[in-house]
This record gives sequence, structure tokens and C-alpha cells, in this order.
Amino acid sequence: MIPDPPPPLYSTRPEWADIVPLAQYEKVEPLAPILYSAEYKDATDYLRGVVKAGEKSERVLELTEHVIRLNPAHYSAWQYRYETVLEIQWPLEKEITLMDELADKFLKTYQVWHHRRLILTLSKKAQSELAFIEKILRQDQKNYHTWAHRQWVLAFFNEDGLWAGELDFVDTMMNKDVRNNSAWHHRFFVVFQSGVREGEEDRERVVRREIIYTKQSISLAPNNASAWNYLRGVLEFNKLPLSTVAPFVQPYTKPLPDQPLDLVDVENPPPGKGADLPCVAAIEFQADVYEEAGQSEDVDKAVELWKSLAAEFDTIRKKYWEYRIQQALLRV
Amino acid sequence: MASTMRPSPIDAFPTPTSSLQTETEKILLEHLPDPASTSTPTLNKNAHMQYLIRNLTQGFPTRYSSQDASQPWLMFWTLQAFSVLQVGLDPGTRKKAVDTIMAWQHPEGGFGGGPHQAAHLLPTYASVCALAIAGKPGEGGGWDQIDRKKMYKFFMSLKQPDGSFLVAHHSEVDVRGIYCLLVVATLLDILTPELVEGTAGFVASLQTYEGGFSSASQPYYAPPSASTPSSPPQLLQTPRPPLGEAHGGYTFCALASWVMLLPFLPSSTPTSTSTSAPSLNKNNLLRWLVQMQGTPVELGGFKGRTNKLVDGCYSWWVGGAFALLEAIGINPAAVPAAPSGKQDDDKNWADIDDSLMNRKALQEYILLAGQHPAGGLRDKPPKHADAYHTLSCLAGLSSAQHKVFPSTARRQQLLDAWKSTSDHDPHEEEPRKLAYLAALCYTEEEGTETIVGGTNNRVNATHPLFNLTVTHTEGMMAHFYGQEIPPRPRTAGKS
Repeated sequence: MIPDPPPPLYSTRPEWADIVPLAQYEKVEPLAPILYSAEYKDATDYLRGVVKAGEKSERVLELTEHVIRLNPAHYSAWQYRYETVLEIQWPLEKEITLMDELADKFLKTYQVWHHRRLILTLSKKAQSELAFIEKILRQDQKNYHTWAHRQWVLAFFNEDGLWAGELDFVDTMMNKDVRNNSAWHHRFFVVFQSGVREGEEDRERVVRREIIYTKQSISLAPNNASAWNYLRGVLEFNKLPLSTVAPFVQPYTKPLPDQPLDLVDVENPPPGKGADLPCVAAIEFQADVYEEAGQSEDVDKAVELWKSLAAEFDTIRKKYWEYRIQQALLRV
Repeated sequence: MASTMRPSPIDAFPTPTSSLQTETEKILLEHLPDPASTSTPTLNKNAHMQYLIRNLTQGFPTRYSSQDASQPWLMFWTLQAFSVLQVGLDPGTRKKAVDTIMAWQHPEGGFGGGPHQAAHLLPTYASVCALAIAGKPGEGGGWDQIDRKKMYKFFMSLKQPDGSFLVAHHSEVDVRGIYCLLVVATLLDILTPELVEGTAGFVASLQTYEGGFSSASQPYYAPPSASTPSSPPQLLQTPRPPLGEAHGGYTFCALASWVMLLPFLPSSTPTSTSTSAPSLNKNNLLRWLVQMQGTPVELGGFKGRTNKLVDGCYSWWVGGAFALLEAIGINPAAVPAAPSGKQDDDKNWADIDDSLMNRKALQEYILLAGQHPAGGLRDKPPKHADAYHTLSCLAGLSSAQHKVFPSTARRQQLLDAWKSTSDHDPHEEEPRKLAYLAALCYTEEEGTETIVGGTNNRVNATHPLFNLTVTHTEGMMAHFYGQEIPPRPRTAGKS
């Protein structure tokens, strides 16, 4: 593909002749300067000129869009663009249409997402937002800004219609990649941290559902830190002891048995066929269950497991496991 | 060692995350030294210096236009990398640096990402820290040309009812901005109870169920009451959901912010409605931090989120966070050594090393994977070096080599030397003094250096709150607080 030729410089365009371009450094020969392209230097010289003149007009939208396309992290260009949108009462639908394209292109910048948020706050039109975000997440399933934006849309507009599909959405993302920690975090946000949604009033049932959901996920891929963290989070948030899931955890702390079990306990799904066991996260969990029990013989068992982590299964965190041993023994 | 070089288990259930992980581990393993070789890994100081000098004098290539709004960061990363490498700047370069930095100060307070750019908390941090390195008091020295009154006004204009701050006008709330604001306010002696009212509660609300911190949280407010419609909005303690998952960069900023807010904690509690002061879950935080360290097959580098890849920049954001744990009461040295099966080859390390991260492994990641052969440091091979990763890796290396901790003895020395100044109300004096003592009591513990590859690889110690050397921090704070720094009994923490 042949790239488009750069547009004519503002300094050669008669319709911009009334603007005095403003160089970046006037009296200073800067240390460590950036070696700009002619196009970038020209566009930002005119942006500085426009800001100095205080002009807010449709052509300022053109200029800021140009600068933003060259450097989407130019927050001052975004800021001035937003003020211009307000001042000239630019149609918000047009702005969102442009943002759809820019978010797709520059999804890793803070500013594309924040500008979008400012416009949505004004337009109050959030209905198509979740579908748009889902499309963007297809490109980058763990994009931090995109997930945070989705959470903001849900929390800020807080409409039942928006919340209704979120658990299905999490499932869709989880089916693509059960190790996607952003999806797990989103699930926690939806289920526990933003109020109680319609149909979720029976909290005991919700907690049971989340625990079994996580157990099934762990049974599929046991060495998944995201799922174990979620399990811990669910128990702690609901003030349940870790021992609630002790019968489930235990088989994951041992090598995989040669023969599959005859009886399958649906409450405690066993490790799947290809599981790499013992699972470090399960050993850690089991040790915490023992520590929680608190009797001296329980703590001894916890210490044995921590020692096995320090010496064999998780040697990089040796210092931490030794610290856990110290702390537990101090409390006994 | 070889027995522990297990690839990360994928449970016969590959997904995009595990596939990327497996590919990365293959590349990282190619950077392990030949087991037959006896040579130790070397920090290529000369190559990194050349890289930094090239950027400083010739400028940054055109692709850095994407960081045109981060010019103060380019300057700070470069100057602080020199400091970590134990290189001072000549007076001409310092003068040029100061003149450049001062061109970024906004007429209404704060610093922008470049000349004529809007003021923003992030470049304000980078500018002030760069001035701590290159500037000095007096005319043309930069320090006394910082407009602190307008800076304070700018900070207050960004304040939100939930205790947070926008990073700039019309911009987002982000804990990076709060960290930057608190560093600057601490260094410049403009940190007040008014400024940080409610901020600790906001920071605490960012901690996720995983233990690390997210970038922001969503506030909810009680409906305005009919009797007092003009009263300020009442923040609800719950729900107050974090937006985004636990993340290394945000976790460092949140933890460092929390430590800087400690002197203000009692008064930062919202007055009547709150039932308890804000608090952190320290055990979850520690667990999350240690879980971010990669396994031997990842060469012990740090990752920034669960199930993501290791990246050299988290050597600082996560590795550097360990030095802040003692300030919140997590201190393994305070308890006697536990019985454990120490391996012989680690014995010398284990005796003196009471860090909760694996300092040796982190240094190995930086030396083996973090260095670009042509100079500068990086995320991981085969990526290019850049200014940001160069400082993050060097600062992380520093935090893995040195043990810098808040010393009660040093705090007492500073307290004994404290001079009351007449231009402050007595009730303003106390928080200022506490902030000063809390910031400057950091000291390097003698004899705890643990340098992989020998003393030629030694870099300077850094202040764990600010990412400046202790010397630069002391110089700037002594000036703005009108204090004299008492001499240290030994040369700890200075170089």
C-alpha cells in the first residue's frame, strides 16, 4: 500500500494566513529535543498559534484532529478540541463517529477514551456503547483503557438495560481465553462491587453460583492464577472462610491420579485429563486453609507446604514463603 | 537450576494467553548464559551512557513525536538514568536543562508536556524531579523560579469531591496523577491537610480483590437533601468500584501515595459520616506484589498484571514497591530467622537478604534480558531500547541491589535538627515537619548491597518514594523547607 502524501503545510494554505504560527521554543535552544517531521512541526506551530489567539471554530476541529492523528497522546490538543466542541456546539453524534474511528486506531492512549467519556457524559447516549467496546476488545482482549471504560459506562449510566447482558458478555470473553484476567476482574466488578442487580438479590445463591463457576474453570485449566485469585476474592468479599472450598482444592495439590475417579462430585469438579499437577496455587491455598484453622498442628501442616513451595514448587518466591512461615509461627 | 527451568504449565488447554507466554519463555531462555561459561553478567554501563548522551545532545528520533506531550518525561528519564549510573552533569548541560524545563512551566501554575502545552500533573512531576537533579537555588537555577503559589492553586483546581484529582483540566482521574501531585507537593513544601482531604480514602478504594491497585474508582453520592440543597455532595463509602484490574504501575503509585499520606491519615477521614479511617489490605498487597515476579523460566522479571508477560519497566513499578512495605509495617527483618532448607549456593545471599522479592533473580532479568546490545534498556528481547525502559530497568536494578529503608535513627537526627520557621503558623508546622521527616528518613542499610555480577555492576541507590537519589531529594527539600540536612554518621545512601 502506498501511503497518502502528507497534506499541504498550514504555512502554505491561504485560508490559514491569518494565524501567526507559534514556534515551540522561542528564547531557548532546548536540550534533548525531539526531531519532528515538517508536517508535525507545522501543525503544532499552528495549534499553538490558534490557542494563543483563542480561536474556537470549525477549522480548529480540523486542526486538532490533524494533530491528534499525528500524536494521539497530545492531551492539550484534546483539551482544546473539547472546549471548541462546547463553544461552537458541534453535533455530538459527529464527534462520536470520529471517536469510533480514533479509538479503533489508537486504543492504547488515555485521551481517546477520556474524550469519548466527556462526549458521552454530554450526549447521554450509551445504548450502543457496550457493543462498540466489545468490537474493540476483539483486537486487544486485555486493553486496560477499554475495560475501564466499559466499567465506567456501566457504573456511570447505571441502567438496568446496560447491566442485563454483562454476565453473558464475561462468558463470551472467558470462552475466548479463560486466562484473561481483565475478564475475571470485570466479573468481580459486575457481581460484587457495583450494587445488586435485578435477579441477583438472593446473595447466597449468587455466591454459590460464583464459587461453582470458578471451580469449573479451575478444573478446566488448574494453573490459572486469575481463577484462583477470583476464588479468594469471592470468599473474602463475602466473609467466608477459605476452608469453604477445602474439599475441592485438595486433589489439585497432588500429582494427577492414573485412574480417573469413578464418582464425580459435581460440587467439586476434579482436575481435567491434561492437568499439570501439583498446582502451585492449590498448594498455596491449602496452606492458607491450614493456617486459617489456627491450631498448632494445622500450622505445622501449613509450614510443611510452604517449605515445599520454597524448596521445590515455587522457588522464586522462597523469601516470601519463609516470611509466611515466620509470621505463622509467631502467631501460634 | 536446570530442574527449576520448567515452562509455565498450560494444562493441555492452550489459550491466547498461554500461547504468548510460551513463545516469550522460549525467547527469554535464549538469553540465559551458557551453563558451561564462568563469566558473570555485566551491566554495559558505557553503552548505556553513550545511548543517553546521544539522546541528550543529538535529540530524540522522529518516532518520539508520539511523546511530544511528555517532553519533561524524556528529560527526567534521561537525567535520572545518569544519576543512577553515578554520572554527574557538567554545569553547561545543567544550565541548558534548567532553561529547557522552565520553558514548560505554565503561566497559571504547574508544568505542561512542552512549551505552550496545558499544565498536567504528570509532566509537573517530571519537570520538578528533573529540576531536583539539574537545578539549584538562585537566579536561573530553576528552583526559585517555580511558582509554588500558582502550583498549589492549580492542584486545588483539579480536586474532586471523592478526594481524587484530575490529571489536567477536562482530563481523567488517575492515581498516577495523585502520586505525581504528592511527590511535587512533598518536595516543594506545599503539602497541606486541605490539599489531601479525602485522598487516602480514594487511594484505598483502588485496591482490588487481587491485592494490587487500579487506576481509578467510580464515586457514588447520596441524593442531595431537600433541607440543605447547596451542601457539598455526600460520598457513599459503598459502592465505590475500582475501574480496571490490579496493575503494577498503578499499584506503585497508590502505595507510594499512601505512604506520603500517612502523616495526614487521621485528618483525612471524612468528618461526620465515616465509620472508620481508610485502610489497606496489606497481606493481599504483599501477596499480589510477590506473585508478579516471574518464575525462573521468565528469568525472574516482573509482570504488571496477572497472566500478562514480564516487562523490564515493572522492575521499578513492582520491584521498587518492595522498599515501601516497611513504611506500612511489613518488615521481615523484625522477626527472627525461620528454620528453612536453605540451599548452599544461596547461603551468602540468604544471610544478609531479608527482602521479600527475589533480588538476585530481578537483577538477572535486567542484566540478561533488559539490556539492548546497542545500549539502552528495554521491555524484553527482541524489543528496542527506549528512554522510559532505560530508567525503569536501571531504577529497578538499583532497588534490587540496595536496601533503602525508613530509619528511625535518621528520623530522630532530622527531628533534632529541625528549625521552626517564623513564616508558618504553629498548626501548619506540624504536618510540614511530619511530611519532611517521613520523606527524608530513608537510609541505605550498610552491608546489605547484593550485586549480581560484582561491584562493577553497582548503580546508585534511589529514594523509593521519588525515584531520585537520596542526595538530590535532600538537596531540594532542605531548600524548600528551610532546613539543614544533618550529616550522616556514615555515607549510607549517598554516593
